[in-house]
Amino acid sequence: MDKLQTVNVLRYDPAKDDEPYLEAFKVPANDTTSVQDALAYIKDNLDKSLSYRWSCRMAICGSCGVMVNKVPKLACKTFLRDYPEGMTLEPLDNFAIEKDLVVDKTPFLERLEAIKPYIIGNDRKPEDGTNLQTPAQMAKYKQFAGCINCGLCYAACPQFGLNPEFIGPAALTLAHRYNLDNRDHGKKERMKLINGDNGAWGCTFVGYCSEVCPKHVDPAAAVNQSKVESTKDFLIAMLKP
Amino acid sequence: MLNYSPKRSDEPIWWSLFGAGGVWFAIVTPITVLLMGLLLPLHGLGLVDLNYDKLLAFVASPVGAVFTVLTIALPMWHAMHRVHHGLHDLKFHVGAVGKYLCYFVALVFTVLAAIWVLDLI
Repeated sequence: MDKLQTVNVLRYDPAKDDEPYLEAFKVPANDTTSVQDALAYIKDNLDKSLSYRWSCRMAICGSCGVMVNKVPKLACKTFLRDYPEGMTLEPLDNFAIEKDLVVDKTPFLERLEAIKPYIIGNDRKPEDGTNLQTPAQMAKYKQFAGCINCGLCYAACPQFGLNPEFIGPAALTLAHRYNLDNRDHGKKERMKLINGDNGAWGCTFVGYCSEVCPKHVDPAAAVNQSKVESTKDFLIAMLKP
Repeated sequence: MLNYSPKRSDEPIWWSLFGAGGVWFAIVTPITVLLMGLLLPLHGLGLVDLNYDKLLAFVASPVGAVFTVLTIALPMWHAMHRVHHGLHDLKFHVGAVGKYLCYFVALVFTVLAAIWVLDLI
């Protein structure tokens, strides 16, 4: 049975508002109502000017990240039944607001692009057939390949909040994912960014990124393994004449 | 704008000392505390023959000297690395001065430990 539940939403239209403010909505909810359903209900029935991002509704597109009671969550994977006291939805922390719950993800996309998250230096042709890997070769990177680029880890990361130059969890994780892939030969190109103060070394292993990751990718582990890689790289560079 | 060709960080040096200090403090130091802090004053509980002269002889041996310096120095590097990054976390952005001051303190303890131990040999 549906009962009315309070959903507070942070509203901000830079064309009209001086600063963001909270607006309360009453949304009919039952055990199956997700935050995304609630937002759709508000937009369809209560206020069509509400802006929010969404697409797949099943935790794979990575579009619907929002702060739910100050914790980064996917709206599609979060349910009103778990918030009987009501909830407050805000745009992802550490990003600039474009409108309402929509943030400007440019800094995140810029970082993703910079670490070259694709296979480099493999000159195999289609006629060579499938580039087979053993289960052990795949196991090395598989966990880190689960990233859906939702950006929750950037909203969670206090270091990204303190230092906007930090490459950040997801991008460093994907760099590590490709560095661990035996089909890839681009590690040298990626290490340049990882070796910098704003690369792996911008992380102090707070670990909140791994806690909020909706796909259990464990970016904190990837970043800290990258620190080991960067230290090896440092030693080799020292020893080379 | 992102800096696409950043300077290599010197953090591997400090992080390695931090890591070594953490491992030492977690694995070796508890044994040292057990031996020197508990078993020595309790005369080894009659189980081990432990006394001050024996420990002094160990500290004055080459292996014991290195062990003692590492026991004092490594956790110090660990702690000062934490202080350095903790200051940033607490929004005290003291920059390079703070960083080198932290590691200088660790260096002072390392040198002092070496001097004290060498004095015993």
